[in-house]
Amino acid sequence: MFNKSKQVDNHSKLATPKKDTELRQVWRHLRRNRLAMVGLAILAIFVLSAIFAPLITPYDPVATDFSVARDLPSREHILGADWLGRDNFSRILYGARISLLIGFLSVAIGMFIGVPVGALSGYFGGRFDLFIQRIIDILIAFPGILLAIVVVTILGVGVENVMIAVGIASVPIYTRLVRGSVLSAKEQGFVTAAKALGIGDARIIMRHIMPNCLGPIIVQSTFQIATAILWAAGLGFLGLGAQAPDPEWGRMLSDGRQYIRTAHHLTTYPGLAIFFMVLGFNLIGDGMRDALDPRSRKHR
Amino acid sequence: MAAPEPILEVKGLKKYFAIKAGVFSRVTGHIKAVDGIDLRIISGETYGLVGESGCGKSTAGMTILRMLNATGGSVSFKGRDVIAMGKNELRNMRKKMQIIFQDPYSSLNPRMSIGEAIGEALEVHGIAKGSERREKVESILKVCGLDSYHYRRYPHEFSGGQRQRVGIARALVLEPQFIVADEPISALDVSIQSQIVNLLENLQEKFGLTFLFISHDLSVVKHIADRVGVMYLGRIVEDAPKKEFYSSPLHPYSQALLSAVPSMIPGYDKKRVILTGDVPSPANPPAGCTFHTRCPRAVEICSEQVPVLKKVGPDHYVSCHLVKEAW
Repeated sequence: MFNKSKQVDNHSKLATPKKDTELRQVWRHLRRNRLAMVGLAILAIFVLSAIFAPLITPYDPVATDFSVARDLPSREHILGADWLGRDNFSRILYGARISLLIGFLSVAIGMFIGVPVGALSGYFGGRFDLFIQRIIDILIAFPGILLAIVVVTILGVGVENVMIAVGIASVPIYTRLVRGSVLSAKEQGFVTAAKALGIGDARIIMRHIMPNCLGPIIVQSTFQIATAILWAAGLGFLGLGAQAPDPEWGRMLSDGRQYIRTAHHLTTYPGLAIFFMVLGFNLIGDGMRDALDPRSRKHR
Repeated sequence: MAAPEPILEVKGLKKYFAIKAGVFSRVTGHIKAVDGIDLRIISGETYGLVGESGCGKSTAGMTILRMLNATGGSVSFKGRDVIAMGKNELRNMRKKMQIIFQDPYSSLNPRMSIGEAIGEALEVHGIAKGSERREKVESILKVCGLDSYHYRRYPHEFSGGQRQRVGIARALVLEPQFIVADEPISALDVSIQSQIVNLLENLQEKFGLTFLFISHDLSVVKHIADRVGVMYLGRIVEDAPKKEFYSSPLHPYSQALLSAVPSMIPGYDKKRVILTGDVPSPANPPAGCTFHTRCPRAVEICSEQVPVLKKVGPDHYVSCHLVKEAW
């Protein structure tokens, strides 16, 4: 098409048109967004260090060494050691594993429930929609973190339960989001056409409506991962999340408070880790929102 | 002349939309989009349904196909009542009755290749799949003036006219007998319009299709239709064979519409019938003849009595108090 022919060096490829997939287009726009690239770099560092933590640091995150307890950062322990002499740097690296795990899995749980419920609610409408939306209203009336606390209280503390709790707390957001997208998508001519062709409701939802609702879901999920990590850290801080000796950032922050005057590194670094990880996801989310929105794409 | 069997017969078809208001969505009134229309469409013919925007012509088309549920009346397609059909029967009926849409942009899924969009119905109805499906889709693409290499393309790679061809191909792939063409050319450039009209005519000849051609463009209808029905506020006010309709329209509304068609002969000034005012709200249509508020020839009875469709010629029907019943 016209915009393709602008790229002069691509002329030779035009004869056998290469598939310009949506994914590739989004990536092209994302790449031009400097902040999004910063976010991606931050996340890449976190993900890589989470995966290769055992190779990066020689210390076991739960091994104690009282001879270095509460030591400030030094050559041996670059981020210092905690009150039991556990290496702070190792704990933060391994903590990234927990945070990323909670972030991704809780979002997966939230999507798994929220997306189908929202899609059905929007597609079928009527009494079913009314019923579902009133339940969602009730859930939305509580702040997400409070809802998560309630769920953890019922299920008991622990990383798995935090994931479930944060996942459930994010269900209303997905339900509303997907319902709205489906409502506008189902009014499109091609949905009417599909119905006129005798194509069943299930297939219409899966093949015609959902693919056209993916953009907002992807963007929301990116932001939601950030929120989930923040909520999980909050639960950890309150002692409702990961239990000792698991190196969970929120819990480390909370435990480090009593040594804040003598060993500030026990609160500073986990705090910075939370900050940067959340920042990374938010920057990418912003970039994705711009890249996936056809209107903002044209201006770039 | 013995009347040939109609492929589609619509009797007293009504579609009301409820107006809801307040916290409890109380029904406070109805928009009478289609208010008791009768249609007889002969197999192999094109019935042109014309009217201003908002007169309910598209709603009528959608209700006939049961894309919307009728409020009352019957639609009989080859002797079977579409309104009363069960789910499975309706699904089978979808193969026989198809629709072509006005907007070629929103009517194609941007995330589905052309081949996929056209071939999907073949698969869903268990008609063809795999390479057989591909063959069928490619042949229908060619019939509609496209090429087989378009199979893998996506809608954004096509122009408006080409997209409309894809929409036509999609409607034709199930080999239907009856097609509702809902303003199929209104959204296209004038230069493309004639191409699509010719395509529709060729297809009609080739496959023996019957069209319900919904349009607000009287000159296009004159070209393509065999019979014309004029709708005003959800009702048919005149129903006549094309020649009779264009040479001697009897309803004052038809006369006004026809006088508004631009003349092809320069300098030739037709007597123009100018209508004043707007179309009244279909939620609260005027009493008596719904047209009396704008009718240049309205008399007292028009605001009191609802006119019925009268036979005024061998095959010509008008609903107007001023036209005397004949035949």
